Amino acid sequence: MRIDTFRGAIRLLGLVLPMTLLASAAQGQAFGLAVNTKTVNQKSVYVVLPAGEAMASDQGQSVSVPGVATAQDLFSIVTGDADATDGSTAVSSATLGVVSLLNGLITADGVVAMASSSIGDAGANSNAAGSSLGNLVVGGAAIADPAPNTRMSLPGVGYVLLNEQLPTGDGVTTTGMTVNMIHVVLQQPVLGLLGQVTGYRTVGEIVVGSATSSVTR
Amino acid sequence: MLKLRSLALLAAPIGVALVAWSCDRQPNALAPTIGTPLAHFNVFQCTPLKITGGGRIDYPPGTADKNPPASHQYETFGAHVMDENGDCLAEKGSLEWVDHRPEWNINGQPLNLHSTVITFAEEATDTDCSDGAAHWGGVLRVQNTGQEAEFEVFDCDNGEPGVGHDGFAIRVPAIGYQVMCPDPDLPPAEPACTLTGGNRQFHPTHR
Repeated sequence: MRIDTFRGAIRLLGLVLPMTLLASAAQGQAFGLAVNTKTVNQKSVYVVLPAGEAMASDQGQSVSVPGVATAQDLFSIVTGDADATDGSTAVSSATLGVVSLLNGLITADGVVAMASSSIGDAGANSNAAGSSLGNLVVGGAAIADPAPNTRMSLPGVGYVLLNEQLPTGDGVTTTGMTVNMIHVVLQQPVLGLLGQVTGYRTVGEIVVGSATSSVTR
Repeated sequence: MLKLRSLALLAAPIGVALVAWSCDRQPNALAPTIGTPLAHFNVFQCTPLKITGGGRIDYPPGTADKNPPASHQYETFGAHVMDENGDCLAEKGSLEWVDHRPEWNINGQPLNLHSTVITFAEEATDTDCSDGAAHWGGVLRVQNTGQEAEFEVFDCDNGEPGVGHDGFAIRVPAIGYQVMCPDPDLPPAEPACTLTGGNRQFHPTHR
């Protein structure tokens, strides 16, 4: 009797588990500013799409991490809906006004990170359309409309990735996109026995304007 | 006495029928009008529907091209609504809207509209939005001032991807605010502004 019950449970699990794994899903998250160093671990105006909900949002008038970052007018919005019949969609956005990093080494006025994913009869698609950087200045040089994944060296600091776009998924049953509009990687030199620089190690990072969206069929 | 009883017998079914008719779903019922009629998005029907997503509009002019980022001439939003019963009454819904234009900076922050209740949702049937369109709205709070006001949106799912295809428009008459893009060159001239980012997803199987 117990074995029969056990077998029945296994059979039920065998039926339910694949359905669970195949269930369509929509996920999204966004944040205005994240600082991760030895002494600071902070993510501001951060929202995640709650399971079963269609939208979440947050906003902040200003954020300051002394010596590292200041930002104004932060808004994060995530929306999504999982629908196996009509198609699933997720859209995330993070917007900021005036931003200053590392005591003015990088400044911008008007940051939009936007990630959008959809899956359905028309196929699977993710994009970063709508993302932009306004009045961006890096090390005193104005940068207009940086191409995706533009990398610039920051001597003595590390490097910065501008308009960083990280696609995910197989493009058939899953698709996703993460957009980080300003991603500073803080590095320190690794010294050899004779004091020569043998490499660099990452000691922290700053991300301004991040949006992630993903959907599963 | 007999005549009175006959009259009552006749009136009873008529009364029942009238009550039943008044409770029946009105497929062509219109949502409360909060402004002057629009050129399009004028024919509606009550049907179960859901529309979700978010995006960016570069208004003015509200076309598929982005304005220069430094201009701050753009709006970003998230919005969803659901009418489960097909009675033009929304069971669920929410709107978050941010206007980044300098002229709409109020009390030191971009105009931020946040819905407090969604009251109606109806399908618009006179548009050329290929996957579906909806007219819905309710009451929102202007986060910058705390003022509450009625609003309506015009929501268009015009295929995939949403950028360059889908559209969205909003009106908040009480504060003299609207982001609407009627284009006379597009028959019919829908009020929705084209998304420069994001996506709107109409879910027709909820009807």
